[in-house]
Amino acid sequence: MLRLDGLRLVLAIVLFAGGCGYAFTSDFFGKELLAEIAIFAILAMSLDFLAGFAGMVSLGHAAFYGAGAYIYALLSIWQDWGAPMAMLAATLFCGGAGWVIGAVTSRTQGIFFIMATLAFGQMAYVYVFENRAIGGDDGMSGVPRLDLSGIGIDLNDPSIFACFLVVMAGLVFVLFVWLLRSGFGRALVGMHRNEARMRALGLPLIRYKAAAFAVAGAVAGFAGTLGAQHSMFVSPDYLHWTNSGLVLVIVILGGLESLIGPALGAAVVIALKHEISTHTEHWAFFVGLFLIVAVLAGGKGLYGLLASVRDWAAAKRQPGGGDA
Amino acid sequence: MFADPGFWIVQLLNGLQFSMLLFLLSVGLTVIFGLMNFVNLAHGSLYALGAFVGWSWVNVSGSYWLAFFLAPVCVAAVGALLYVTLIDRMRAAGPLNQVLVTFGLIFVFLDVFRYFWGDFTLGVDKPALLAGGFEIAGQIYPAYRLFIIALGLLVLAGLWVVLERTNVGATIRAGVDNSEMASCLGINVEKVFFIVFCVGCALAGLAGVVAAPLFSVSPGMGIELLIPTLIVVVIGGLGSLKGAIAGSLLVGMLQTFGQVLAPQLASMLVYLLLAATLIMRPQGLFPARA
Repeated sequence: MLRLDGLRLVLAIVLFAGGCGYAFTSDFFGKELLAEIAIFAILAMSLDFLAGFAGMVSLGHAAFYGAGAYIYALLSIWQDWGAPMAMLAATLFCGGAGWVIGAVTSRTQGIFFIMATLAFGQMAYVYVFENRAIGGDDGMSGVPRLDLSGIGIDLNDPSIFACFLVVMAGLVFVLFVWLLRSGFGRALVGMHRNEARMRALGLPLIRYKAAAFAVAGAVAGFAGTLGAQHSMFVSPDYLHWTNSGLVLVIVILGGLESLIGPALGAAVVIALKHEISTHTEHWAFFVGLFLIVAVLAGGKGLYGLLASVRDWAAAKRQPGGGDA
Repeated sequence: MFADPGFWIVQLLNGLQFSMLLFLLSVGLTVIFGLMNFVNLAHGSLYALGAFVGWSWVNVSGSYWLAFFLAPVCVAAVGALLYVTLIDRMRAAGPLNQVLVTFGLIFVFLDVFRYFWGDFTLGVDKPALLAGGFEIAGQIYPAYRLFIIALGLLVLAGLWVVLERTNVGATIRAGVDNSEMASCLGINVEKVFFIVFCVGCALAGLAGVVAAPLFSVSPGMGIELLIPTLIVVVIGGLGSLKGAIAGSLLVGMLQTFGQVLAPQLASMLVYLLLAATLIMRPQGLFPARA
């Protein structure tokens, strides 16, 4: 079960407040960066729910992100659906697709599961890349943003849009906290810890795994609708498997199975990526190297690092009682 | 066009040629997995490295054949270096960490290629000996493609003899079956791991240098071919030579004929084949450990 302990709560509040504050104080480039961070934070939290808590390491997450973006774009450009309905439809579709793919891939385990999700993800990528009707490799531009002018919010203002994305990320965090503390979430974590025991207790494993995949897919699709609104443009790159890899990297560096860690990871990795790319065009080299070193160093990501600092400080305050 | 037997023969040869390229790549990947439980996503990068090193040797020496022999050696040396520094200590780390570290390696390699060879496509000329073509059923078929088919079959036969008919092969198969038992019986499993890893890398490098005159050489070429290679390995069943052969032929033929007969569906077909395999036989067609 997810414990909403002090560290998680403090981190969540700091990230949320920091994000909202930064949205109004930074320059234009900072706002764009913040928007990207918020979107990747949503993606990373949904992958952490799936990989960290439910134990299903997927390398096809970008496909749901891209599917959400494309469906939102198609419905809002071609069908003239209003943005809220298009967002809802895209999210629901991704949830349904996640359920089906989850039900199929859950029959495999370990590296086979990783490969199977990778294959399904690439299948979606190839489909979009080669389908001229939806723009093929050129993508589609002119994606509209949600219109909240009725309640006095102008999402075309970069500050307000970035802040809106941070609020969405906050809501996704609350959703996952609620889900993970529910019976459903506890069953998933139990399945991850000891599958045989959960099966013996009568849990229909495949159905739970498919449901977990559906939730993660729906949230990733929702992130896609936000991503499409952010750049006002969709392209097959959204679905490419290297994006899935990047999200997985964010989750691991942030701290697997911590929920808030991946949000922090999104901020650090995306900021780092931009920081390095302003100094050298060979940012990929340093990101790759950083990843290798981080995995070799072991540990539990940034969240694990903060947790051990907290424990160390607690132990120091309380001589004799080292187990805080 | 469809009634002409020459057309079908040419497509069959094209499919066979692509299959052999996939085989050279996937056999190393699959045996390394079977033996060490290690997933090397950077295998495609080693293929690209083979192509780049081959290009450089051709430019330095002017001889394709020198590059043909030296590129696999260079790639094997890089593989040995990777093994000592990284792979060896990642073996017990579980699939997630292996995927992450080798994913990081992909990025590192990508920029190394860009740094040393530039971010554009390079061409390698076919060796003069194989520049011509043969007439097959009324069609001129390039000799170089036939050479790739022959090379693939040669490597296949060589690997089969070594794996099935020699002591070294028996040692490797014992390692795949049960490495603990093998080491209890006095086999130096660590040494076998190391040698197999280097040979797998050399084969990836060979595939790269052979593919260089056919496709253009570019930093992204490894990432492009990695996914089909992984699909071959998963369809065939991780760890088995038979699986690599069957998977390469299935994927190679499906891709080639799909492109001719149903271009709209071609690239999807391979993924559908993978999905069907995973649903019906989650362990692949010929798993090494049934």
